[in-house]
Amino acid sequence: MSAPQTQAPLDRPALISALRARIARLERAGAAEALSARGEEAIPLSPVIDAALPWGGLPRAALHEVLAAEPGAAAGFAALVLARAGGTVLWIAPEPDAWPPGLARFGLSPAQLVLVRAPHTQDALWAMEETLRCPAVGAALLVTGELDLTAARRLQLAAEAGGVLGLLLRPDEDNAAPTAALTRWRIGAAPSATNSPHELGDPAWTLDLLRCRSGRPKSWQAAWHGDQLVTDERSTRDAPARRRA
Amino acid sequence: MVSVNADAEAAGLEVGQALADAQAILPDVALAPEDPAGDALALERLALWALRFTPLVGVIGRNGLMLDITGVEHLFKGEAALREEVLARLARMGLTAITAVAGMAGTALALVHAGWEGEVPSGQERSTVAPLSLAALNLEPAMISALQGLGLRSVGIVDAQPRPALARRFGTGLVHALDEALGLTARPIIPIRLPPEMAVMRDFVDPVVTREGIEAALADLLAALCRALREAGRGARRILLRAYRVDGNVQELTIGTGLATRDPQHLARLFKGKLEGLEPDCGFDRLTLEASMTNPLTGMQENLGTAGRAERREELAQLLDRLSQRLPVWRLAVRASHWPERAMARMNAFETAELSHCWVPRPRPVRLLRRPPFLQVMAQVPDGPPFRIRLGRIWHRVRRAEDAERIEPEWWRDGPNRLARDYYPVELDSGARLWVCRSGPMGPEARWVLHGHLP
Repeated sequence: MSAPQTQAPLDRPALISALRARIARLERAGAAEALSARGEEAIPLSPVIDAALPWGGLPRAALHEVLAAEPGAAAGFAALVLARAGGTVLWIAPEPDAWPPGLARFGLSPAQLVLVRAPHTQDALWAMEETLRCPAVGAALLVTGELDLTAARRLQLAAEAGGVLGLLLRPDEDNAAPTAALTRWRIGAAPSATNSPHELGDPAWTLDLLRCRSGRPKSWQAAWHGDQLVTDERSTRDAPARRRA
Repeated sequence: MVSVNADAEAAGLEVGQALADAQAILPDVALAPEDPAGDALALERLALWALRFTPLVGVIGRNGLMLDITGVEHLFKGEAALREEVLARLARMGLTAITAVAGMAGTALALVHAGWEGEVPSGQERSTVAPLSLAALNLEPAMISALQGLGLRSVGIVDAQPRPALARRFGTGLVHALDEALGLTARPIIPIRLPPEMAVMRDFVDPVVTREGIEAALADLLAALCRALREAGRGARRILLRAYRVDGNVQELTIGTGLATRDPQHLARLFKGKLEGLEPDCGFDRLTLEASMTNPLTGMQENLGTAGRAERREELAQLLDRLSQRLPVWRLAVRASHWPERAMARMNAFETAELSHCWVPRPRPVRLLRRPPFLQVMAQVPDGPPFRIRLGRIWHRVRRAEDAERIEPEWWRDGPNRLARDYYPVELDSGARLWVCRSGPMGPEARWVLHGHLP
């Protein structure tokens, strides 16, 4: 004897969309609260990039990962994001070598920069978590190596609680493990637009958005001109050269 | 022999005796080698322990402690009771002491030097000290024998002599010692710890041993201290927790804050990481919490415009406090120097950096390497920019290179041997932009380093 089928046949698409909505509510539930308290918008990068990001820019109260294919370019991009986040900015690294004379070009003034030296990963993670929980901070950057999923998740939750933008600056590795970060970028150097062999011209970068929650990976070429990021329209590609997220 | 105990003294041993004589008199005498450093340390520990009676304790010479008990004797029901309690507690630790209480520090010291014990009623200092022997003045042995040779055998008789004559004959040191002993001039006490600006304490009938117990007691003390601070309109900059162990050991923990604060929860969090340093062992019977440094901190009126900003500032200061308990935290201040390593100076994270001058709009690295690696470089001409650079194992072609920027050493800071540097911003084939520097003579001996990464 078999039990009669009591349940109504499942409406799969409706169920899945309901579950998705529920997950979306659960995720970044704390962030909504923190952000409404701060009342601040996502951080704009450039019109073209902002249009490709579901939040219209890099959202606060979240963790973003920056893989440094080229140390100078990645530090420049990080400085740009930190400066646009505004307020006090913490730079946590085993050996912080941020140099304001160069960072000032991206609008990051020494008056807002605080450096923290954390030689041990454990201390660095603790310092980052404490910082991300503090609503008085604009943004925080952590220079780190490999990060396990739990640690990254903790940082993401801390960022949501404090409404602070967190950046993880990591070396570019071919098989970087997935983390809880909202976006993952790979920043490399691009040849600059000048033709003269005796002039470096504006800083030019390749920005690969490797991973983006509820968004699509994309790739841009951009240059820092004056005080804004100018995206090269022709170079926009749908998927980065190497996908690894 | 530098010291003997009471039993040995009864057997006929004395200070200054040869060891062989002592062993002849008392063959089974227990010997301990002299250890001045250890003695000084033990005396300092004892002085810390004595802080339980009064906040102002000084170390006198090699074996004395001076306690300023002005205003605290009523807590112990009078001077006599206080003296007895000190002796009883010392006896429990296996120590004997000669104690005297007097209106002036010098008088008390003179009484102890002469072996007189007890309390001197106020106003009778002179008459109490007068019959004492010259040992009370703690003078050089030569001077004592000289005085005795003149028939001056007690403090009172010396006091009866005209002062100018004494000063001429024996120097002002004697007159000074005499005046101090008689209570005519004050003798300063050099405190081992500065008296706190504010302190609270708690005694425990049952010694606290567990972490939970200590934390609960600390929370209690912090609340009391912060209440006192609020009433005084001040905030603490440095707080010291002193834990008195049952066996006489005293342990201290200090926390510092960047901005004056009186928020007990914040302070408790700062102490949290440090409490592991305590060794309760058999338990603490007293905890004191002192604000050793305070700044004025007036209550802030929550105005519409400033409320948010002040709150933010306080929150940030609390974060930096927590971080700096465990890690080095600093800001960078601009310094007037062209030498790259000196362009920025570390400063306190709680100060605000002043932007005194703008930077020249030249390409500057975003990261300045603390330990710049040496590079292997090929240049077409000795004084020209690099043509190929070796990074790791690979030779990179230089695609673009700007003209050299020469930075001369600062002769007013550097030695004469420092060489000028030529900095070249270069772009490699890979797109990487580097700030490379040549120092030393041009040509094959030139030394190239990678000093920074350009954006």
